[in-house]
Amino acid sequence: MNLVELNCDGFRSLSGLCFKPAPGVNIIRGHNAQGKTSLLEALLFAATSKSHRTSQETDLVQHGAREFHVAARVQRSDREVAIEVNWWQGVKRVRVNGLALSRVSDLLGKINVVFFSQEDVGLVRGSAAQRRRFLDMELSQLMPGYLHALQQYRQVVRQRNELLRGGRRPDPDLLGAWDEQLGTHGSVLMEERRRFVESLAGPAQEAYGQVAQGERLQVAYRPDLRDGVPFTEVLAASRDSDIRQGMTTRGPHRDDLEFLVDGEPARHFASQGQQRTAVLALKLAELELVRDRAGEYPILMLDDVLSELDTKRSRRLFSVVRCGAQCLMTTTDLGSQDALFGAECVYFLIRNGQLVRQ
Amino acid sequence: MFLDAPSVERLIEAFRKLPGVGKRSAERYALHLLSAPEEDALFLSEAVRTARERVTTCSICCDLTETDPCALCTASDRDRSTICVVERPAAVMAIEKGGTYRGVYHVLHGALSPLDGIGPDELTVGRLMKRIEAGGVSEVIVATNATAEGEATALYLSRQIGERGIAVSRIAHGVPMGGGLEYADDVTLSHALQGRTRL
Repeated sequence: MNLVELNCDGFRSLSGLCFKPAPGVNIIRGHNAQGKTSLLEALLFAATSKSHRTSQETDLVQHGAREFHVAARVQRSDREVAIEVNWWQGVKRVRVNGLALSRVSDLLGKINVVFFSQEDVGLVRGSAAQRRRFLDMELSQLMPGYLHALQQYRQVVRQRNELLRGGRRPDPDLLGAWDEQLGTHGSVLMEERRRFVESLAGPAQEAYGQVAQGERLQVAYRPDLRDGVPFTEVLAASRDSDIRQGMTTRGPHRDDLEFLVDGEPARHFASQGQQRTAVLALKLAELELVRDRAGEYPILMLDDVLSELDTKRSRRLFSVVRCGAQCLMTTTDLGSQDALFGAECVYFLIRNGQLVRQ
Repeated sequence: MFLDAPSVERLIEAFRKLPGVGKRSAERYALHLLSAPEEDALFLSEAVRTARERVTTCSICCDLTETDPCALCTASDRDRSTICVVERPAAVMAIEKGGTYRGVYHVLHGALSPLDGIGPDELTVGRLMKRIEAGGVSEVIVATNATAEGEATALYLSRQIGERGIAVSRIAHGVPMGGGLEYADDVTLSHALQGRTRL
């Protein structure tokens, strides 16, 4: 699918902005703090009604303004989708092809995007909680039953922890009633996470290999519970330590995702460039996964992806990106890419929130 | 708001404590009662008082009743060997509307929820166990809600009762009758598929 037109008014520093990218690769150039990231953020907001930088929607409105509007027109293989988001003093109204949505969650899937942001490098470097959030967010969108299992699992953990609090030794039958449910919902989480990571690992390895020739990326699901051991047995074995610590110490809420570059954990041993490439490979794998599900490529957004990649990697990334998906890419480099990327790209320059096609 | 009438404020506060009543509705109810004929307003207060005075919980099933034991527990045509356990009195009314259940009930008045400080002692679990110990019960159907708390209550009861060699069953979860599958939410539908039965 291709973004045909994006209009932003009062969204961060962008006012009266009209962006008409071409199919294929679009490069948005500009110095720092000119509105490059905000432009991508606006499309993300139209596609998901969420921002990657903030959970406070008041941060999105231009300083001193009370409202903002974002409108995106996207050509899908079989239809056109027009999304309008109007935000006025904290009230958000979303329209799809002119019809108001009663639930914002109905917006998901109308426009598919894959977004690589500066914050995403934390997926490799950051905490396990960040990686679990990535798994949970992706799976909640892909598998309807996942979100239900996740919400139930979290509620059961909260209830069970309350029972364990303060070193109390609860009635085993009472604890068992919660244990059994941890098993039911936890096994759904583990099974879906395993399948998702497995389907992501192959394409991620391939994408990584293409960008960083000669190096090998492995993405592995690291569940807290080993395969084949029933959850209830693990809980029974850890009961004493659970009571001592006053909380549920084992389960999928302790899961992790591991990135290995040439067999070494990327979190500790990889360079910044390698870490960035690993996350990028994960996003490119997601691109393929969404294509399998949606029947066409989503829109790929890469925010300042080139900043820590060497020339070789940048060039190879470029050949991967030309897979056919529309790509919106930002960079602070105002000149040197011409030689790198050739004439197939369309260039835009953004300055003080004003956009010109070059 | 009613600077001169703290009694109205009190009335509004009282309405706000009811489930599902917000500030606006509470004000509407209060103002309605104050502008309605006096006997209508007093009828409401009288109805609340009488119901509170007359209604107690049944000493057998713990459902709300004016006569103890309640009509369902004393009815000659009910099968006292089957007990259906529910969270709230409203669930008894719902199942009775179906008209096919011939057993008796037990109302727990809630579900296990450590976060709310509710354990077995805060529910009528002890009374249920006494009923079972007294004998004559062959099956207990657990019809608590399909929430984490309702499920935990069901599992806890099955552990407690199962030890005594009595059949414990859980009601099925599935699609509403007479409705198209396309109207069922996806979680219910996937549960219905998991709980499929052989034809």
